[in-house]
Amino acid sequence: MTALFVDEYPAEARLVKAAFLSSFIAFGIGALFGIIQALHRTDIFRFIDSIKYYTVLTGHGVFLVIAFTIFFLVGLYQWAVTDSLERGSVDIRFTWLWYGLMAIGSLLAGISILAGFLDQPPMVLGSELRANVLFTFYAPLEANPLYYIGLALFLVGTWLAGIDWFRTWWAWRDENPGKRIPLRTFMVLTTMIMFFLGSIGVIVSILVFILPWSLEITESLNPLLTRTLFWFFGHMIVYFWLLPAYLLWYSVLPKLSGGRLFSDPLARVVFILFVLLSTPVGIHHQYMDPGIAEGFKFIAMTNTMFLLLPSFLTAFTVVASMEHGARQRGGEGRFNWLRALPWRNPAFTGMALAGLIFAFGGFTGIVNAGMNINYLVHNALWIPGHIHAQVGTATALTLMAGSYWLVPQLTGNRLVGRQVALFQVVLWFVGIVFMTNSMFRAGLVGVPRRTAEPQYQGFDYDVGVGSMGELNAQLALGGTLLFISAMLFLVLMLLTVFNNDSEPIVDGTLPPALSGPEDSPQVLDNLRLWFGIAFALVVLAYALPLAGIAAQSGLFGQDIQPFPVSSEAVIYFQFGLEYVGAFVT
Amino acid sequence: MGSRVSREIGHDEYDPWGTLSLIVVYFVALTLMWLFTYFVEFVGNTPTVMGMIVPVMLG
Amino acid sequence: MRIHQYEKLWIVGAMILIVGFIVTITYGSVGLGITMIGDEEETIAPDELNDDEQFGEPRVEQVGENEYAAYVVAQTFIFQPDPIEIPANNEITFHVTSRDVIHGFYVPGTNINAMAIPGQVAELTVEFDEPGEHGLICHEYCGSGHHTMEGLIVVQPEDEFDLTELSAETPDTVTSGEQVQLNATVENGQLEPLETTVDAEIGDQTFQQNITVDGNSTQDVTFTAESTQLGVGEHDWTVTVDDYEETGSVEVVSNETAAAEGGEES
Repeated sequence: MTALFVDEYPAEARLVKAAFLSSFIAFGIGALFGIIQALHRTDIFRFIDSIKYYTVLTGHGVFLVIAFTIFFLVGLYQWAVTDSLERGSVDIRFTWLWYGLMAIGSLLAGISILAGFLDQPPMVLGSELRANVLFTFYAPLEANPLYYIGLALFLVGTWLAGIDWFRTWWAWRDENPGKRIPLRTFMVLTTMIMFFLGSIGVIVSILVFILPWSLEITESLNPLLTRTLFWFFGHMIVYFWLLPAYLLWYSVLPKLSGGRLFSDPLARVVFILFVLLSTPVGIHHQYMDPGIAEGFKFIAMTNTMFLLLPSFLTAFTVVASMEHGARQRGGEGRFNWLRALPWRNPAFTGMALAGLIFAFGGFTGIVNAGMNINYLVHNALWIPGHIHAQVGTATALTLMAGSYWLVPQLTGNRLVGRQVALFQVVLWFVGIVFMTNSMFRAGLVGVPRRTAEPQYQGFDYDVGVGSMGELNAQLALGGTLLFISAMLFLVLMLLTVFNNDSEPIVDGTLPPALSGPEDSPQVLDNLRLWFGIAFALVVLAYALPLAGIAAQSGLFGQDIQPFPVSSEAVIYFQFGLEYVGAFVT
Repeated sequence: MGSRVSREIGHDEYDPWGTLSLIVVYFVALTLMWLFTYFVEFVGNTPTVMGMIVPVMLG
Repeated sequence: MRIHQYEKLWIVGAMILIVGFIVTITYGSVGLGITMIGDEEETIAPDELNDDEQFGEPRVEQVGENEYAAYVVAQTFIFQPDPIEIPANNEITFHVTSRDVIHGFYVPGTNINAMAIPGQVAELTVEFDEPGEHGLICHEYCGSGHHTMEGLIVVQPEDEFDLTELSAETPDTVTSGEQVQLNATVENGQLEPLETTVDAEIGDQTFQQNITVDGNSTQDVTFTAESTQLGVGEHDWTVTVDDYEETGSVEVVSNETAAAEGGEES
């Protein structure tokens, strides 16, 4: 057994722990908001105003898919780079700088969201402090400028993190001329290239259009343009959530299974495909949008379908790596080897169940990506079903399972409650099956997403099999199980952190792949080349649609007024009455 | 937490036919689910947005 | 690169799946004729909607044989018009825009699904085969009252559907001895001429007139009653055309009263 990560790289371990701490705090708040929604929208238990539901919903989105996932990512990636290059950061102060920016950014955004619970929010930067705009912040809904500033700082911090890892790699390359990039570092670097490229959209959207407009520096904006720039970023970001899980599946899961990664070259190919294809597909979130020609939608659809390829390849490589472990552990037969896997290990079981959900969730993603079939599911409850299967389980459950393996190495403490941990990951699996089953089916009968009260006056949903009551019960039950599971995880993490005077029983070494990097051509490591091709693909996919949108109604739109989402509904009715008045006269 | 390896299997002697079997099952499941969702759930969920027949203006 | 034979097999299988998905979707577009919302429509500034020929008065109109257009404005937190009445078995092209923030335009239980974006107009053509009522909801978060934003689409049997509008008026008071004129206006929003009968009642007198209103035009009809026959007092009147009815009342006042009132005024 080699030395623990915390003993070898104490400075980096501190940063990883700080990042995980931020991630887990966000996870706790996000999970709490999740159960509030599950009970509220099904009308099983409502203790907040439906207006405040949207504050909860904004918090649920931002705390979970921005803070929880990305803080975990930067911690995990810091570990991956340090451990696989066997060297620390070039300058640890720079490392803390990006973490600090991310922390401040998420605090600002978080505070502006939580202020939405106040009946009389304070005035900040010339407007009420609130941000009931959800994590997609579609203009002309308007949040306090502080929310956008927070998001921008968070993004800048994430950029600097990427630059930091590149610096570490450059330093390593000078020390190790001619060596192949270690696989985990390769994954980190390609993920960050993808992020640099894809986040340009949202950075332009915030810094050029939305922030100046919310500060009343510019008077108008083009809502379709800011929306398109968001989705330029918005599909890349889902892979940014997912790739940390991929990194764990490729590097840690084979080892947990008792085997070795099946193919290092294919793992590299997979990450390169994500660099190339994860951005020029964003328009598939806008199939139902006017102002974008059908041809561009078709191109986005075909790109998205080819983006299935890296995930399909992953399915084979990762399952084959698990099977390798099972066979080495004595597994036999066509399917019987599955029984030889270490199902009592929570880290293994969590990741394996996450992968299983991902395989089905992937199918729902194909439906979302399927252009005309998107009419069936767009903005229906099916979509959050898909999100909760993918980021809410494939990613989140893998990260939790990975924590059971990694946190003891970061703290030097033994994991507390291994049996409970096993129960926790299985509970998450059961919870997500109930909840997403309800969401998929309810979505197919037309129940919309993103609403406090999907119960309407004028019509009833036509539920073919089962009933609305049964669907609601499943959703609430699933949500409750997930919440309990999340709390169990956090308690176990907390106890582990304070479990001093213990020796972790974990082996941090990762075995080499069965087919190593020497089996792949050197060109796979030519990151400049892949960046160049990816950039060209993005230009091809986005130049014309963006130019078209700007040409139709201008870069800054046609006098689009901001709509601050207040906790008071009154101003809306005033707007409404004004317009209705204009009709009558 | 030892992985209790009972035998070493190298790349060339390893034959992932269990994985291949699972992948075949997945292939079939995806195909069937896709056909059902597209042709039953979607195409049956009328009305659907259709191409407009452009009115021919006479005169 | 060293790739295992099974993995090569699966790469082929994966490509078959991917191409199969693309082929299915292309078949949906080309074979089944399912089109996507595109960029054909002109943009329109939200603050110019009131002056717009089409969105200034959100409505349903006939644009061709068996073809109707519905101009719909989404705004916090209503749809206009509401309800949207359309005929079954006809092509309906919805033109949807937003007056303020981004809204959704979604009919649960169908594939009618679009975004309403300020500045943009979504155009989607559908045909309902069966008469009935459908909920119309906003499925994009649009502010604090988002969950209350709903409308109704009423699909009427084709033969019962029309775009007829009836209005009618009389003076409030008529001096005894003068004629009571009831002016009715029948508007036909459809393209086919409307042949129908106008029935009217003023007090106990009844009238009937057959009219033909050309497509997309209006026709005025005037019914005249003698106030002396009606007598002094309040008289109810009714005009009916097909299923439409307008009612009101007219008061016949005696000469003396009229003179007295006139006297007071002067």
